Amino acid sequence: MMLKKTLLLMLVACTTFAVFANGEGERQPKPESEWKIALVPKDSTNAWFVRMEVGVKEFAADSGLNAFQKGPAKTDAAMQVQVIQDLIAQDVDALCVVPVDPAALEPVLGEAMDKGIVVVTHEASFQENTMYDIEAFNNADYGAFIMDNLAKAMGGEGEYTTMVGHVTNASHNEWADGGVARAAEAYPNITLLDSEPRVESEDNMERAYEKAKELFKKYPNLKGVLGTSSKDAPGVSRAIEEMGLKDKVFVAGTGLVSECRPFLESGTLQYITLWDPKDAGYAMCSLAAKILRGEEVADGLDLGLPGYENMQFAPGSDKVLIGSGWIVMDKNNMDEYNF
Amino acid sequence: MTLLNEKQSPLARFVARDPNLFRLIIMLVAVFAVMGALRPTIFLRPSNLVSMAKQFPEYGIMAIGISICMITGGIDLAVVGTANLAAITTARFLIASVPKGSPGGYTLSMILMGILIALTVGALCGALSGWLISRFRIPPILATLGTHQLFTGLAIVITEGRPVSGLPILFSRLGNKTLAGFLPVPLLLYALAAIIIGIMLSKTRFGKQVYLVGTNATAARFAGLNVKNIIMRTYVTSGMLASLSGLIMMARVNSAKADYGASYTLQCVLIAVLGGVNPDGGFGTVGGVTVAVVILQLLSSGLNMFENVSNFYRDVIWGGVLITVLITNHYLTEHKRRKALKSASEGCGAPWGNLGGVAPPGST
Repeated sequence: MMLKKTLLLMLVACTTFAVFANGEGERQPKPESEWKIALVPKDSTNAWFVRMEVGVKEFAADSGLNAFQKGPAKTDAAMQVQVIQDLIAQDVDALCVVPVDPAALEPVLGEAMDKGIVVVTHEASFQENTMYDIEAFNNADYGAFIMDNLAKAMGGEGEYTTMVGHVTNASHNEWADGGVARAAEAYPNITLLDSEPRVESEDNMERAYEKAKELFKKYPNLKGVLGTSSKDAPGVSRAIEEMGLKDKVFVAGTGLVSECRPFLESGTLQYITLWDPKDAGYAMCSLAAKILRGEEVADGLDLGLPGYENMQFAPGSDKVLIGSGWIVMDKNNMDEYNF
Repeated sequence: MTLLNEKQSPLARFVARDPNLFRLIIMLVAVFAVMGALRPTIFLRPSNLVSMAKQFPEYGIMAIGISICMITGGIDLAVVGTANLAAITTARFLIASVPKGSPGGYTLSMILMGILIALTVGALCGALSGWLISRFRIPPILATLGTHQLFTGLAIVITEGRPVSGLPILFSRLGNKTLAGFLPVPLLLYALAAIIIGIMLSKTRFGKQVYLVGTNATAARFAGLNVKNIIMRTYVTSGMLASLSGLIMMARVNSAKADYGASYTLQCVLIAVLGGVNPDGGFGTVGGVTVAVVILQLLSSGLNMFENVSNFYRDVIWGGVLITVLITNHYLTEHKRRKALKSASEGCGAPWGNLGGVAPPGST
């Protein structure tokens, strides 16, 4: 009996859908004040994306448009699909997405684009169902930038090596290659440690620490380590401090303030580099608004904030836009960043 | 147990028969009304209703699986691991057996084959959990936590942690189709699963045995039931349901991966409890679980409609709902028990009494 009631209930619900479904029309052009630009991060409760939301709010304040961030409460591709599905159903005009897993989002983003919604992604250069993908920077340029920082710390001379999470990690190796190329071209007195030019930290702070201790014992002349994984710089810094090598050996690389704070304070680590999720969030919304306005997207595109004022298409791509949006954090400005 | 009175109105009889389901439906209507009133232009839009109907089946079916296990007094925490392992196996099979450009008929037959493979994997996964629980008497919560780790681990080993993509487009198209403009295929599959399991629980001997094992396993054993076998079959059913969820997820994201839906496990337990399934066993209906799934989907989609409500609050709201339900249920059982005791002392209680809110199985 109860089963029948449930069935009946379902039937009623379905009929309701059907009755409503007929009233749905095509998308109408709307005035700018009614636009809705939604940014979907990987996980809205993660510090990185909480920071991204600051950028979205800044954009909303600057432009007067309705831009907001809505994401899953956990990093889960299936949950992210659900949030996007909800937003499509709510008739947003633009979706800016940082995919947990680009492959998992292809169908739902395809659906969004079929409905005429503007789709912009970030950190998903192989995404097919997107109009444009924004990358904060070109990997080789970022590597060169880390090298510049390391060279500054090393005083422009000495021997160095590079550290990557895994030798199979594409972006880490591209950064390291960029750094090596930069040193070869701009710093004649800085030389690469030939016997071990690339070491692995396994994306693990403990491993970076052990590896660095091993290196410093084996190569007393080693003066610098160029880190790429965010675990490299803090792990190596710990080894430097423990072995009393402060001011003798230096490290530069990607890092999070939350993990590097003590080393930045003590001066073992002078700079860490990163891209700011706030800027990426702002840039995505800004690009979405430009597309909605029908503006042309071409090389040299200015998204209205430093690092993203001269976007270039990646070679051979008409989708991936690259900026120069890296940032340096040191003792003085680290409190501005909460991740 | 309220004695059914022929003179009562149909509504009153319905309330008396399943007060829990009635409370849930009231709650559903309330949530729907509140969301509809706060966001009429978005929430009541047909596309939003269809979108919600597309979303809940994948975890709703898992919740049904967990619920049957909970009715026996157990739990199945391996549903997500099972779903992903089944989806990955099927995905691998489809990629290997259907080269690009295969004719539609051949692709379709391979897809049917793939579905059978997924269900088999699901059944095997469930059988392993059931075996651990019935043969070694490992507490279900630990046994299935272990198998969940095992299945997820296997899935990671097979895929090296990467998504398996490149499925025949037909699979995703079929799984995402909206029939007649308003009936999404996932919803249809959910209805199918709910009806089959609903009939199984309320009408078949196996269903009655499931309730009996959950009410009192020792009594069931003395009554001559093969408790081991019943538990085994329960977990196999749950595993097969989980694999169906895995297929729905796979169609929706057009790929399979070891950690899709990782957050669904606890959500499904929440749904089961909200739906009136007693974690101690013996109680619960598919109808209750269905209404609970819809309530959670309304809350979830509803919250996504408020641009200023941060997703931080989502867990707070869900946790709040769950605790409210638990407290309400506690007071209602207390109330019922006192009433039953009173009527028993007056000498007109049912012969089996109603102590502790335990109803005879299948007494709907």
